[in-house]
Amino acid sequence: MRLSASQITKHFGYRAVVKKANLTINPGEVVAVFGPNGAGKTTFIKILATLLRPTSGKLEIEGADAIADYAKVRNMLGVIIHEHLAYPTLTPFENLKFFGQMYGVENLETRCQTLLDEVGLQHFVHEPLHIFSRGMTQRFMIARALLHNPTILLLDEPFSGLDASAKQFVLDRIAQEQQNGKSILITTHNTELGYLVGTRFLFMINGELEEIAQQDEISENTLVQMYEERLTAVA
Amino acid sequence: MKAFRQIAALIRKDLALQFRSKETLALIFVFSVLVVLIFAFAFGPNFPPEKSERGKLTASVLWTAFVFAGIITLNRSFVIERTHGALHGIRLTGVDASHIYLSKVVSNVIFLFLLEIVITPIALQFFDLFDGVTIGIVLKLYGVLSIGTLGFCAVGVLLACMSTSTDGGESLLSVILLPLVIPIIMGGTKCTVSILVTGGLEEGFWLNMLVGSSLIYLASAYLLADAVIEE
Repeated sequence: MRLSASQITKHFGYRAVVKKANLTINPGEVVAVFGPNGAGKTTFIKILATLLRPTSGKLEIEGADAIADYAKVRNMLGVIIHEHLAYPTLTPFENLKFFGQMYGVENLETRCQTLLDEVGLQHFVHEPLHIFSRGMTQRFMIARALLHNPTILLLDEPFSGLDASAKQFVLDRIAQEQQNGKSILITTHNTELGYLVGTRFLFMINGELEEIAQQDEISENTLVQMYEERLTAVA
Repeated sequence: MKAFRQIAALIRKDLALQFRSKETLALIFVFSVLVVLIFAFAFGPNFPPEKSERGKLTASVLWTAFVFAGIITLNRSFVIERTHGALHGIRLTGVDASHIYLSKVVSNVIFLFLLEIVITPIALQFFDLFDGVTIGIVLKLYGVLSIGTLGFCAVGVLLACMSTSTDGGESLLSVILLPLVIPIIMGGTKCTVSILVTGGLEEGFWLNMLVGSSLIYLASAYLLADAVIEE
């Protein structure tokens, strides 16, 4: 397995935001975690991305202890969270070039240009990021996450605030990266889109992660029904 | 080699961001000139005839201007990193936190030193000390200012990284930074007075204090960088 999290717990003060979460992700898998706002999805993904240290638990990425040796595993990760993790006064090309230099990407300028073409930002290469719409920013974030060709993608709410065409673009890109053998985790509260793209489903409610089923074991209707039942039970 | 390449990329990026933000650039420059002007109006137009008194006044004005301009600069350099999570983006590249720290120190020192190069002649002119200034005096003056700026940024970068991660951190920085940089300000001011009045550094004690405290701060902050940036 590429990523293995076991008994991950995160407290903020006295409040447990993530409670003993266990998760493994294998190559070519798209794990979709569904949960409402405030369920702990973003905190969990930040822990997996080594941006946040868990209160307790173990995290292994490609066999390495990701909590102790975070610097060693970080360049295997492509991460999308709510923030675009870049500089708004720089252009997408300048941002990609800078982060590419940090990663040590070869043929950097060509790589940046290719990625920007692929995500449909070829006409905005020299515009500063702060003028971008939500959808354009999301496209940039995908390019940034893929820049160094990571083996694991951690995508927090990749569909939020996007119009239909942008959602389709993200869906297609996730499918393409899955075919390339990447391990992908997406968190979303949108069961419809999550079902379309996921190969395995989990619920995260009140910080508790629950394994549900593989995609071929469950229909979308059953998944939605189970999700609503869980939400009703904790409401 | 990889470390040097990363640090160089970080410094280039920091300087590009600093100089691209025209309003911050203007704010810091205008603020520094205003400090000089306010003191000049308060003590002028008839300045003390003794060069030693004018030297003391100029040194205090220069260091006041640079310390407060430095606080604004340090705050800005980390607010840029925090606003859209760019610091997380850098951390995700796997770069060592000490490289991030060093690049921030270097870029802030360069930025503030450029400001000092512009503001110092203005202050010397206003306080009637421009005549008799030789190349040697200018070099010594900029040498002392650059060492002081290095020490100030060494500790300031670390504290700015901490303070900007909290609510109201911008005002917090001056409260926690100023007491810590007192040895640098004392050493720097005394050395500046000495250079402006006598043209040289008469008392080695103050220069030793300035250099010593700057190096101690740089070494300590470098060792703490990983804990501060990663938390």
